[in-house]
Amino acid sequence: MLRHLFTLIWNRKRANFLLITEIFLAFVILFVVGSTLVYSQQNYRTPLGFDYEQVWQVDLDPGMQPRAQRAATQRQVIQRLKSLPGVRFVARSSSNTPFSGNSNRSDLRRTKESGGAYVNGNFYYVEDAMRDVLAPHLIEGRWFDKRDDASTRQPVIITQETREKLFPGESPLGKIIPNGDQEMQVVGVAGTYRASGDLSEPRAAAFLRVSPQDTSFEHLETLLVRVQPGAGAALEKRMTTEILAIGKGWSSNITPLAEQRAAQLKLIVTPLVALVVVCVFLIINVALGLFGVLWQTINQRRTEIGLRRALGASARAISAQIVGEILVVSTFGLALGLLVAAQFPLLGVLGVKTSVYLTAMLLATALIYTLTAVCALYPSWLAAGIHPAVALREE
Amino acid sequence: MLQLTDIEKVYQTKTIETVALNRVNLTINKGEFVSVMGPSGCGKSTLLSIMGLLDEPSGGILELDGRPVKSYSDKELAHLRNQKIGFVFQSYHLINDLSVLDNVELPLLYRAGVGGKERRQRAHAALDKVGLSARTTHFPSQLSGGQRQRVAIARALAGRPEIILADEPTGNLDSVMGEEIMDLLLGLHRHDGTTIVMVTHDEQQAQKTERLIRFFDGSQVA
Ligand SMILES: Nc1ncnc2c1ncn2[C@@H]1O[C@H](COP(=O)(O)OP(=O)(O)OP(=O)(O)O)[C@@H](O)[C@H]1O
Ligand SMILES: [Mg+2]
Repeated sequence: MLRHLFTLIWNRKRANFLLITEIFLAFVILFVVGSTLVYSQQNYRTPLGFDYEQVWQVDLDPGMQPRAQRAATQRQVIQRLKSLPGVRFVARSSSNTPFSGNSNRSDLRRTKESGGAYVNGNFYYVEDAMRDVLAPHLIEGRWFDKRDDASTRQPVIITQETREKLFPGESPLGKIIPNGDQEMQVVGVAGTYRASGDLSEPRAAAFLRVSPQDTSFEHLETLLVRVQPGAGAALEKRMTTEILAIGKGWSSNITPLAEQRAAQLKLIVTPLVALVVVCVFLIINVALGLFGVLWQTINQRRTEIGLRRALGASARAISAQIVGEILVVSTFGLALGLLVAAQFPLLGVLGVKTSVYLTAMLLATALIYTLTAVCALYPSWLAAGIHPAVALREE
Repeated sequence: MLQLTDIEKVYQTKTIETVALNRVNLTINKGEFVSVMGPSGCGKSTLLSIMGLLDEPSGGILELDGRPVKSYSDKELAHLRNQKIGFVFQSYHLINDLSVLDNVELPLLYRAGVGGKERRQRAHAALDKVGLSARTTHFPSQLSGGQRQRVAIARALAGRPEIILADEPTGNLDSVMGEEIMDLLLGLHRHDGTTIVMVTHDEQQAQKTERLIRFFDGSQVA
């Protein structure tokens, strides 16, 4: 029977050409949108790698204060904030804080003698206290501490993505990573750290230690503060006034990371939702088109259907044939679509994991088959009701 | 085999009511070769389509092998049409998008337990009988009227039915070809014991059958 359907569709390829094209295009669009969604969803489900609840970001603006005095004032601010009831930990950070959208990328590479492998990654400058503020997940080695004060090399903690690229199959602890004319030494390995947000891909990154003696202010204007659970507007207000009191002409801006995260998510999810809405309308359109074509086909083929009934096809066999035909037509369209879709993982242009594409292909295929089958249900029911004697006399 | 008791068929249109069959009583015995004659519009095709289980009579009882056809479900009727009956339509009714061979295979497609290979073989054999083995890959639109008629006959033969209902099977054939088809039907009747009911306008052909039924205005007159 299946062969018969293929023969029939093949012989009617001219008539089915538009239908096949429509299904092909619908598939490609579903595949692209599906890939985007699957990709986002997979990233969303990956742990962020830190704890952002009860962490506030404090952006400091020193105003007109002379450069030389800024670091000292900042130190005072930090001391005061630490002493406030409700504040647990405070740490200086580079501006690429979680959900900020800022990044500070550079190449992380092995020494020439070790092969010179490299990977581009985000550099996070953090203080020792960051362990308590953001609580990044440590897999191996240790977090920064006083021991590092004596170190002649810049201590660095790499994330597991960096380790996979630079140190596959070996322990990175104690290894040297050149950084310009200086050298960094790995003291620990952290788990995935996705400060770029919920929908960002896990990428290589490294934490670089800011020592307490570091008096530079320019790239450490941001403070991250872990507060007690339940701390709210009152503490925020207090912090603002304290900062103003210490730094003449200073101003600050305090945002809970949870708020920053929500704002970022909204920004990213809105176009995704728009995409899905457009896609749904498109699918409805395709479905209506399919439905119309099928309906019309049934009317054009009444004699043929009557004949099949006369030759012994049961009503159910006729229904099955109509649904089967559209599934075969879909198969032709899908085959073309899959051919196109397969180019994405094969060429690897976007650097997205193959599993994302495969899942999207599977989803799009299932959706198209379901859609066409559903569209064929009513026409197939109509076809099954065609009376042989009546239909055969109409010609 | 087929028993018609007081069969009536009334076509109802908006304006008029046409009585196509009026209280027809008829028995077709197993293995009989019956021809039906009558003027155009007297109800011959209607009679055949009722006997072929394609249409329901408006009144009366049709029995097949002693059982009233009314008592069969739709599925059983489909099964009977497929297994027992071979229908040759007055206007052939071939599927234009299928090759001659695929058209002839069609009834076997709806028969369980007949594989693709056997279908093919039987279709070839049937086409051979009507002298069309050289045209198997053609499409209906590439055939003459007479050739199409022969494909329609081959299709009815392919299922090796017990009953063949043929509506003017030689209507579009020249006398030589018509003669051959007639011989073919006579052969099926004689050697395979096939029951045949044939509508014809050809008096000579009708004489060759065992029984001749004449119709006039929806009623049997002889
Ligand atoms: N669907 C229908 N609606 C109304 N009247 C019909 C319908 N089908 C057939 N008839 C009428 O029933 C009568 C019998 O038709 P039928 O086709 O059985 O004739 P026939 O004997 O086969 O004629 P012919 O020799 O021309 O094929 C005709 O008068 C015809 O007009
Ligand atoms: Mg007729």
